[in-house]
Amino acid sequence: MTDYHVLVESNIKCLEKIGHDAVGLISDPYRETSAFGASVEFSGNNNPVCEPIVASIDDLDLLKNPDVYKSGRTSDRIRAAGYYKKLLGDDIPVIGWIEGPLAEAADLAGVNNILVDILMEPDFVRKLMDICVITAKDFAKAQIDAGCLVIGIGDALCSQIDPETYSSYILPLHQEIIDFIHDQGAFTKLHICGDITHHLPNLALTRTDILDLDWMVDFSNAHEKCKNKIILCGNLDPVSCIQNQKTEKISSLSNKLIADQKNTRFILSGGCEITRDTPLENILAMESYRRI
Amino acid sequence: MTDILEQIAHCIEFGKINKQSPYPPDMKGQDGADEYTKAALEQGVAAGDILKKGLVPGMQKVGIKFRENKIFVPQVLMSAKAMSTAMVHLKPFFQSGEVVRKGKFVIGTVAGDLHDIGKNLVSMMVEGAGWEVIDLGVDVSIDRFLKAVEENPSCIVGLSAMLTTTMVNMSTLVTTIKEKHPNQKVIIGGAPLNNDFCAEIGADFYSPDPQGAIEYLDALVI
Repeated sequence: MTDYHVLVESNIKCLEKIGHDAVGLISDPYRETSAFGASVEFSGNNNPVCEPIVASIDDLDLLKNPDVYKSGRTSDRIRAAGYYKKLLGDDIPVIGWIEGPLAEAADLAGVNNILVDILMEPDFVRKLMDICVITAKDFAKAQIDAGCLVIGIGDALCSQIDPETYSSYILPLHQEIIDFIHDQGAFTKLHICGDITHHLPNLALTRTDILDLDWMVDFSNAHEKCKNKIILCGNLDPVSCIQNQKTEKISSLSNKLIADQKNTRFILSGGCEITRDTPLENILAMESYRRI
Repeated sequence: MTDILEQIAHCIEFGKINKQSPYPPDMKGQDGADEYTKAALEQGVAAGDILKKGLVPGMQKVGIKFRENKIFVPQVLMSAKAMSTAMVHLKPFFQSGEVVRKGKFVIGTVAGDLHDIGKNLVSMMVEGAGWEVIDLGVDVSIDRFLKAVEENPSCIVGLSAMLTTTMVNMSTLVTTIKEKHPNQKVIIGGAPLNNDFCAEIGADFYSPDPQGAIEYLDALVI
C-alpha cells in the first residue's frame, strides 16, 4: 500500500458495506523500516519484501531515527489519519498503527538473527529495540496528532519467545510506549499474532487498553489472567472460520463468543487479520448477529 | 562412552554450541556440542552412535519441550545451531556411507511465500532426528519440487506455507506431485493450515509442530 487515498477510501467502502465500529491504518509492517532506510519492494497483490539493513551492533551507530513526517511511507500513514478525519469526522474511531520493538528490530535485522541474538547478543538487541522505541513513539504521536483515537501496536514475534525473555526485555518497552500514548490522550491496542497464552500474566501488566487475542488463545483463561482490567478483542479463526465456514456457522460461533463473554470487556473480531479472500457475506455473518 | 554421549545430548538439548558460546548462561565456559563430538570421535566412539545416542535423543527432547511450550523458537534455534556444529564432525562419515540416515526429506516453502522460520525449524529438527534434509528454500516452484523428487527417489516431501494466499498453491503442488508420483508421501505445515485442509488437498499428513512431523516420518521407516 503506497497511496493513503486508496487505503482510506477502500476502508470506507468496507465500512459502508459492513458497518463495523472502527477503521484502521494498518497495511504492511514496513512503514518504519522503510523510514529507517530499508528498501521495500512491492509486487502486485503479493506481500511486500524488505531486506534487513542491520547486521551487528556496529551498524547501530549508522542507524538514525527518521523524521516520520519526511519519510515517504510513514508520512503516507500520517496523511491517511488526517484524511480519515476529514471524511469521517469524529463519528468513527481511527486506529493508527506502529510496530512494536521486537517486531521492528526483526524487520531491521532479520527474524532468525533477532531470535538467536536475543539469547547470544542481548545487548545488541536491547540497543536496537531502544532505537525502535524512539521511532515508535514519534510515529504514534504523529498519528494521534493527525486524528487517531487508538494506536495499535503490532509485535507479532513476541508469541515466539519465552515469558522470561518477554518480561525482561520487551515488557518494559511495551509499558513505555503504552504510557507515552496514554499521555498523548489516545488508547492502545496491543496485537501479538499467535498463541500468547504463556504471556498472559505479563501482558496484564502492559497497561494496554485493548489486547487482541488470536484464535488459539482461550478467552476465559485470558479474562482470568487479565482480571477483566483489559478489553479483550478476538478471536474467531480468520481462516478456518471467517474465511472458510458457512455463514450460519460463523453467526453461531460469533453468537457463542458473545454469550460466553457476557458482562466482560470484550470486542468481537477475527483473531488476526481478515484474509484477502474472505467472502463479504462471511464478515457480514459476524455483523448480522450484532444487529439483531 | 555413555557419559560423553549424554554430554552431547545435554548440549543439544540446552543449545550449548561450543566453549566460546555465552549461551546458556549457566554453562558459560564449559565445552559444548562441538568439543564433545570431536572428543567422542577421538575416543573411538562410532559416528553412528554419536548420531543415534547423542544428537537424536537431544533433539527429541527439544521437540517435545517445544511442543509442550516449555521452550520457544530462540531456544530451538540454539539447539539447532549446536546440532549443526556437531554434524560438521560427522559429515565425512555420512559421505563415506559409514553412517546411514533414516531417509531423505525434501522441504520447501511453496511458490509465492517467502517465510522461512517455520520451514527452517522443521528442517533443522528433522535433520537432528537422523534424516538427510534437502532444503529447497523459500518461494519454491512446482518444477523444483518435482525435480527434487525425481533426483531423490523414496524421499518424503514437506511443504510449508504461512499465508492464506499461498496455501492454495499447496493444492496444485500436491495434485501435480501425486499425478506424476502416485505413491509419493507429502506432508504439510504452516500457521493457516489444519487437518481439514490437508484432507481437502490430498496431502498425507499435517502437523502443527516439528515433532509431529518427525514422529510421522519415523513411523514410515520403522
